[in-house]
Amino acid sequence: MSEAESVHLLPVLPLKNSVLFPYLLMPLAVGRPASLAAVESALGTEGKEILIVAQRDASMEAPGLEDLYRAGTRAIIKKMARPDEGRMELIVMGVERVALLKLEQSEPYLKARVRAWPLPDEQSAEVEALHRAVVDLAGKALSLAQAPTELGQFLASAEDPLRLVYLLAGMLSLELAKEQTLLEAESRSEALRLMHTYLAHEVQVLELRSKIASETQSEMSRQQREYVLRQQMRAIQQELGEKDPHQAEVDLLRERLAKLVLPEEVRKEADRELSRLEKLPPGAPDYQMIRTYLDFVVELPWSARTEDNLDIGRARQILDEDHFNLKDVKERILEHLGVLKLNPEAKAPILCFFGPPGVGKTSLGQSIARALGRKFERMSLGGLHDEAELRGHRRTYIGAMPGRIVQAVRRAGSCNPLIMLDEVDKLGQDFRGDPAAALLEILDPEQNKAFRDNYLDLPFDLSKVFFITTANALDTVPRPLLDRMEMLRLAGYSEEEKIEIAKRYLLSRQLRQAGLSAEQCLFLDESLHEIIFRYTREAGVRQLERGIGRVARKIALRHAEGDTTAVSVRAEDLIELLGTPLPAPEELRTELPPGVATGLAWTEAGGEVLYVEATLLPGGHDLTITGHIGEVMQESAKAARSYLWSHAQGLGIDTAVFKDSGIHVHVPAGAIPKDGPSAGVTMAAAMASLYMQARPRSDTAMTGEITLTGLVLPIGGVKEKILAARRAGIRRVILPKGNEMDLRDLPEKVRAETEFVFAERVEDVLVAAIPSLHERLGTIRAA
Amino acid sequence: MRDKPEQLPVILFPGSRAGEATCWRPSVDIYRTRSGWLLKFDLAGVRLEDVDVEIEGCRVTVRGLRRDWLLEEGYSHYSMEIAYNRFERTIELPCKLAHPRLHLDYEHGILIIRLDTEEETR
Repeated sequence: MSEAESVHLLPVLPLKNSVLFPYLLMPLAVGRPASLAAVESALGTEGKEILIVAQRDASMEAPGLEDLYRAGTRAIIKKMARPDEGRMELIVMGVERVALLKLEQSEPYLKARVRAWPLPDEQSAEVEALHRAVVDLAGKALSLAQAPTELGQFLASAEDPLRLVYLLAGMLSLELAKEQTLLEAESRSEALRLMHTYLAHEVQVLELRSKIASETQSEMSRQQREYVLRQQMRAIQQELGEKDPHQAEVDLLRERLAKLVLPEEVRKEADRELSRLEKLPPGAPDYQMIRTYLDFVVELPWSARTEDNLDIGRARQILDEDHFNLKDVKERILEHLGVLKLNPEAKAPILCFFGPPGVGKTSLGQSIARALGRKFERMSLGGLHDEAELRGHRRTYIGAMPGRIVQAVRRAGSCNPLIMLDEVDKLGQDFRGDPAAALLEILDPEQNKAFRDNYLDLPFDLSKVFFITTANALDTVPRPLLDRMEMLRLAGYSEEEKIEIAKRYLLSRQLRQAGLSAEQCLFLDESLHEIIFRYTREAGVRQLERGIGRVARKIALRHAEGDTTAVSVRAEDLIELLGTPLPAPEELRTELPPGVATGLAWTEAGGEVLYVEATLLPGGHDLTITGHIGEVMQESAKAARSYLWSHAQGLGIDTAVFKDSGIHVHVPAGAIPKDGPSAGVTMAAAMASLYMQARPRSDTAMTGEITLTGLVLPIGGVKEKILAARRAGIRRVILPKGNEMDLRDLPEKVRAETEFVFAERVEDVLVAAIPSLHERLGTIRAA
Repeated sequence: MRDKPEQLPVILFPGSRAGEATCWRPSVDIYRTRSGWLLKFDLAGVRLEDVDVEIEGCRVTVRGLRRDWLLEEGYSHYSMEIAYNRFERTIELPCKLAHPRLHLDYEHGILIIRLDTEEETR
């Protein structure tokens, strides 16, 4: 290209917000007087050439040279029209990039001298690579923009990368500065690189856009589909003369509500919710919630109740049929029946059965329900640690549910059921609240008249509900809760009672389960006795029942195998049927050395015999206590030692022994935790016998709390302890004087067979426990 | 239009070969004759001296310039549709042109190119 050909003198058309690239056609609307004059002038030439250049500031109406970029595009006006006076529409085509050299004229329009500014020819591998990358990216952008595929092919066919870049620049909506940078690119590779950056950004934006678009699209179409289907369904139903199911549902609920006898407040609330339900479309999120709520309200037994069976004779018969003995509890139930007969509006009692496992607490509840003719519902509170479980969740929570109490009432279907709350001593407690505190309200006859469940949010009368709770031990039950309940103790059963229970209830039940008749399998008393004595160690009768069950199954197997002779189970058959007996951990020790005494302990599983062992440590000073002993028990050991020390003389003990030797007290079995004050007398007896080097009686067991002044205080669990002593073969028991009355609980036979010694002071215990002490004291007195 | 990147610019330049990219393309009719080919280019208002014809292999390229010659003082365009300035058109014929005899004619604004080849008896 010669110098003359590359320099042109051209009228200037400044462009706002846009850059014309070579090879591209661009429609333009011209309105500014100077621009119109420039176009007129260009049209007046043979070649219709004009310089198109972007102005730096779009707001400038009459830009000068300094307001224009220094790179522009030489263009040819292809078409021109005047839609109205003072305006022109053009189609211009970019021909080549030019650099502005000089402004030759500024009035009435700009005229500039320009020189062609071609990009250097470049044929490197880099350009090739960039070219391909841009084509790929452009293809991606086009497909995201859902452009016709021909366009992509067309782009790919452009041989000159620069044309591709310019073409893409015309298609993208780039900012002016970016377009101008691209126009001013020094080389093809730079231009390609710039375009690659712009395209990458564009692809990102497009991807995001299409993602958003597809998401909204799917959401819209789902709703639309549902709407259309619902409309169609409605139309079909109308055509068939059916009612709208939504309306039908509301009508049904209203009908059911109308039939119920409801308190005023409840009816108002239910009507309010119903009218809310009516207004809601079935698709609304609240709809299901209100429906479920109303269903629940309708199903609650607001006034439905069962008639109590007030026939006291019949009730007594039922209670006796189901349970042996348990006189106190049965009496209490019958008393309540008597009260109900005289005053039908009497509040139901709230009872708490406590005692070792397997003594029939839960089944007693069932039989009370049967005797009264009430519905029975049972729930276990063991491990429950969320207050909301009992009291429900407020309806504002998603997935809210009524509390268990109200649910139990609904299940029972009457407002006066018997609800049994098992394992009240095993309630948990954590940050979600204290269920025991919620129980306080539920179990308080003064408050539960208008119990408000969080879900129901309406007062419900629980005062007609007969609550019975059960517990194994009371020490974990909060005091205020204990205070609300009437405590009824179900102590462990004696051997005789167990045999009676086995004969009356367990045998027939287990034989029936094994498919045997009473004639096919006969248990002798001696074998029952053997099972109780050698194969079980419990206060209740669960293990006994299991043992009987095992025997029955073994015999059932023999029958099934063809040996159909009737069997009577004897004691000596049990080894064969049940295997070796349990090893007794504390078999009766026939001979006790000085320093060992027999104690009695109470556990959740009934009573136990335990031995307290003491030994002197010559040269030591302290009292060491081992055997997994709790604090109270440790303290009673200290009290016992201190008492003996201070009364050493009166007991004929040399005080030097306290000074010269320490003492170690151990209570086997060492792995079982033990606590409580009732081993005080046993500790004292063990230590006294050690200090005196006198053997205690091995046929005597003892229990009782001691004080530092030597008093023996009454303790609990007398019945279990005595039964445990009997199990161990001990027939002589030292008890605190204060416990004399408790002996009434014992079966007649046990009372008759056991010798009881009642002690008021430690000395009484020691005299009864250590035979040689009697003479010793006599000697001391005589001296 | 510039706000919507997914929409394509309506106007694209014609031609795909680099040389033609910024030129306008005259329309052409192509005839087979007994002795070869006849090409008719619509080149109204183009002076013959501004036309350049080039034959290379089977390719015939016509390029040139259309100048607006009705430029009198006091006239101004009210509208314009005719394309001015450079034009270029390359025709690719389906056979090789061995030693063609070229004859140019310009009549009523039409440029006529006769190409007589030796395979006339085909």
